[in-house]
Amino acid sequence: MSDKASADTGIPPTPGQRILNGVIDVVLIVFCILMLLPLVFLISNAFKSPQELLQWPPTIIPRDATLDNITSVLADTPLLRWITNTFFFAVLSTIAIVSTSAVSGYVLGKFKFPGVHIVFGMILATAIIPFEVYMIPLYLGVQQLGLLNSLWGLLIGYLVMSFGIFLIRQYVISSIPDELIEAARIDGASESWIFVRIVLPLLRGPLGTLAVLAFFQAWTAFTWPMIITATKDSYTLEVGLALFQTGFTVDLGRLSAAAALALLPSILFFAFMRRNFVQGVASSGLKE
Amino acid sequence: MMKFAELTSRKLAVRRPVFAMAAAALFASMLPAQAEKLTIWGGWPEMEPFYKRVGEQLKQKYPDLEISVELIALREHEKRNALALPSGAAADVIEMEVEATRYLEGGLVPPAPDNVVKFVKDGKHFDTFFQDSVTFEDKIYGVPLFRGQTALYYNTDMFAKAGLSGAPKTMADYTPYAEKLTQRDAQGKPVVSGWSLRLSGGGQGVAEKFWINLFQFGGNLIEEKNGKWKAAFANEAGRKAFKQYVENVQVLKTVSPEMKADAEAFELGQTAMFIRESWVIGDIAKKSPNLKYATAPLPRGSIVIPVNLYVPTKPGKKADLAWEYVLQANAPENLQWLLDNIGWLPNRKDVDYSAIIAKTPAFGAFVNFPADYKFFSLPAIAPASEILTRVAARLVDGYTNPKLQDDAAIDAFLKEAAAEVDTILKREGLLATP
Amino acid sequence: MRELAGTWHRKGFTFAVLALLPALIIYTLVRFIPIVETLRLSLFQWNLISRRKPFIGLDNFRELFTDALFLEALRNTTIIAFGVLAITVPLGLVLAALIHHRTRSRFAGFYETSIFIPHVVSLVPAAMAWKWIFDARLGPLNAVLGLFGLPPQAWLFDPVLAIICVIILCSWQALGYAVLIFLVGFKNIPQSLYEAARLDGASALQCFRHISIPQLKPVLLYVSVITLIAAFNIYAQVFVLASDSQGAPGRLVRVLVLDMLENSFRNYRVGYAAAEAVILLAIVLALTAIQFRVFREKGRA
Repeated sequence: MSDKASADTGIPPTPGQRILNGVIDVVLIVFCILMLLPLVFLISNAFKSPQELLQWPPTIIPRDATLDNITSVLADTPLLRWITNTFFFAVLSTIAIVSTSAVSGYVLGKFKFPGVHIVFGMILATAIIPFEVYMIPLYLGVQQLGLLNSLWGLLIGYLVMSFGIFLIRQYVISSIPDELIEAARIDGASESWIFVRIVLPLLRGPLGTLAVLAFFQAWTAFTWPMIITATKDSYTLEVGLALFQTGFTVDLGRLSAAAALALLPSILFFAFMRRNFVQGVASSGLKE
Repeated sequence: MMKFAELTSRKLAVRRPVFAMAAAALFASMLPAQAEKLTIWGGWPEMEPFYKRVGEQLKQKYPDLEISVELIALREHEKRNALALPSGAAADVIEMEVEATRYLEGGLVPPAPDNVVKFVKDGKHFDTFFQDSVTFEDKIYGVPLFRGQTALYYNTDMFAKAGLSGAPKTMADYTPYAEKLTQRDAQGKPVVSGWSLRLSGGGQGVAEKFWINLFQFGGNLIEEKNGKWKAAFANEAGRKAFKQYVENVQVLKTVSPEMKADAEAFELGQTAMFIRESWVIGDIAKKSPNLKYATAPLPRGSIVIPVNLYVPTKPGKKADLAWEYVLQANAPENLQWLLDNIGWLPNRKDVDYSAIIAKTPAFGAFVNFPADYKFFSLPAIAPASEILTRVAARLVDGYTNPKLQDDAAIDAFLKEAAAEVDTILKREGLLATP
Repeated sequence: MRELAGTWHRKGFTFAVLALLPALIIYTLVRFIPIVETLRLSLFQWNLISRRKPFIGLDNFRELFTDALFLEALRNTTIIAFGVLAITVPLGLVLAALIHHRTRSRFAGFYETSIFIPHVVSLVPAAMAWKWIFDARLGPLNAVLGLFGLPPQAWLFDPVLAIICVIILCSWQALGYAVLIFLVGFKNIPQSLYEAARLDGASALQCFRHISIPQLKPVLLYVSVITLIAAFNIYAQVFVLASDSQGAPGRLVRVLVLDMLENSFRNYRVGYAAAEAVILLAIVLALTAIQFRVFREKGRA
């Protein structure tokens, strides 16, 4: 990486610089720990007994760790069911977004017909319109189709992602040479063959990034599942948990246990997919 | 970017079997359940053991039956009804208060079958008031279960310490009582409120509580005239009720919006008295069993909010089961259990509750009230909740507004709020013309 | 591109149309029609169940601007949005500068991850964690205040403090995104600019002030607008955090989305709620327009 030139010049840092760097490290470490602390406490509270929860200062590692909270939450709420619902919702949404983005992004990036720009413009325009603006008519549509309280009803709100099409289109324009496609055409390859055999393999990188973004978007969705699902069995994790916490405002241990169980999948998934995720989010900030 | 792309492609390959497994599991999860299942929805999470108990009894008769009790916070429960009823996705048995009217109007809940109608119409079982609460255009749609009725709860230790021997008799007494009961720190800030008033919280609760106080002064928030309605609080009763709040909050400072309020404060010994429904008795028994307290009827009368059970499921085998569940919930033995263990007041009157009331004298104020005790209920009109929410928002601002201490300012404030209520009523075609 | 067009025009056209069709149909059904429908519904009075749906022109909008609850929601949401902006952007910029400076530190990965995790984890559990922190009786925040001799506060029950709590929670979540985008921005600043400045004897702070900030201007603006738009749509955080004393979620700090949902699904005023959605749309479009405008001016300069 070229930007680290100053540090890579080979000149050893002066003692003053070294102290400054040390101070910066300390500041950053303290800040980062503070950022993580709420989540650490949440997970630790999940394992505490009611007595220990009332103690000050709060312990980070519970003294007498107990699984009571977790077993009682799992017995009282269909938490696993909610996790399963959310997982399938997220997976199907990811599949839909990745496939529509791959095809549309490619066509919009490489085919120049009248109207292509208008289509792309319209798609891009919907990217800045918040979902909340049009969710009520969309809800009415789902209701008419009789898809409330179902995975399919949830999915209807999360079938496409304008940013995904934008991302793939940018990648197609900048990284897939016209010559490659043209050469295949001259060899008599069909358009669909070119897309599946040549373009798609080259798109693996950005599609992987997009998949992670889409998965997280659905996994953390709140407002839409909140209005689409009304039965306990159809809740997603976020909705189930949010409603669970309205019912038992006092029992902190059980609340923390439920929250910690809900949090874990997203933290684990993030840990595995960190690079994709960071890359994807970072690319959202890059302008044309 | 390229290097990064190679990295992801490998990860994607690994994930392929995961997707296959997910798809297989998905189809497995969509298979219909074999056993018959009844779902119960309600807005009071503390009712869970009651509904489960009724379910267990029904299961003895139908071993294959599955009962799912799904209780969430009241406002969220109401929202869930609003979302699910028009689309036929609601549970088989649902709790509803007066808001049921709009669903009955819309034909979204089928009328009750004959055996249920007979049960409800039997004058031995329910008073006319409760029969009316499940009736729409001469048809019975549901079965009354319990009611929200209020009384004064007071901490007898604190009353004794303040030299007070019993509950305040008139509404005017409440303020001097509150003043004597307030405990303050060295700076004079209240640490134990003399009378916990509902001062914040946004939702319609603030307006309901105001209405309860207003009613003691002889007023009502809105009043009916030949099936039409009108705001009725911009008058002397309204001013008295509002002024009492302002006096306690701003002048005497017997209570502040920051203090813990309501049942929680009472259980923690942070307030000396407050007005609430009978469920608090069950709550105190659970959370603060050693608290010394008593209850008393309110000076003039109480709110009564009937909570009824409805079956939105289309007539058929499942609906029959659901109605059987509803009737089972009204079995005498279950209603006694409900009063004894949860504290909500059952509406069925041919059941002997005397042993429970003798055991827990606090219930006395809810059932042994003066002969001229008056009752009121929330209006069964579609915009009721919107009206209460909007009045509540104004009240929350008003209680702490220092400009609202003289009568003229209060009158103007109430007039403006009443005008807003009338605008809503007019919009819905419900405004009574003078 | 242009010279290719002639040779495969017809075949390519068929493929392009067929390939775009599914996405276009989906977009039409789940985006274009609902958006147009929102605009249309905002001109009607409709209660979701009734068959009666009279056209009332701009009456909904007229009523909105006299509606105390809506104005409160609009005010709260605006305060939250700009509050989050005021915390996130400066703090994010400083953190990104420090992390960028320490790119070679063995902790660099830890910095990036720990600041970013709050942005990705599920909203509801995260909000629940903060709810405990802010809790008046059990929460560590009041306990920490106590160590400094400050009186405990009813954080989540006082309307003003509750807004501050929401701002803190949202900033905690938004910070990771800002830092990440700023880091990309820092990496894209040509190193030669710094080298030249250093030859002229500029200090690190001067470099930050006169090189980094001007160079990062478009990124700063982008992050600001994204942060604002995201904050204008908040709901989950408020739902969990700002329960009132009865546990009725989200009503202590009324925000736009909550007011919209309440109007449509509690008061059954779908047209009215659609009018609110149109105002939300107008706010977002205005923010985006400002961003584009400043960008274009920068391009011309």
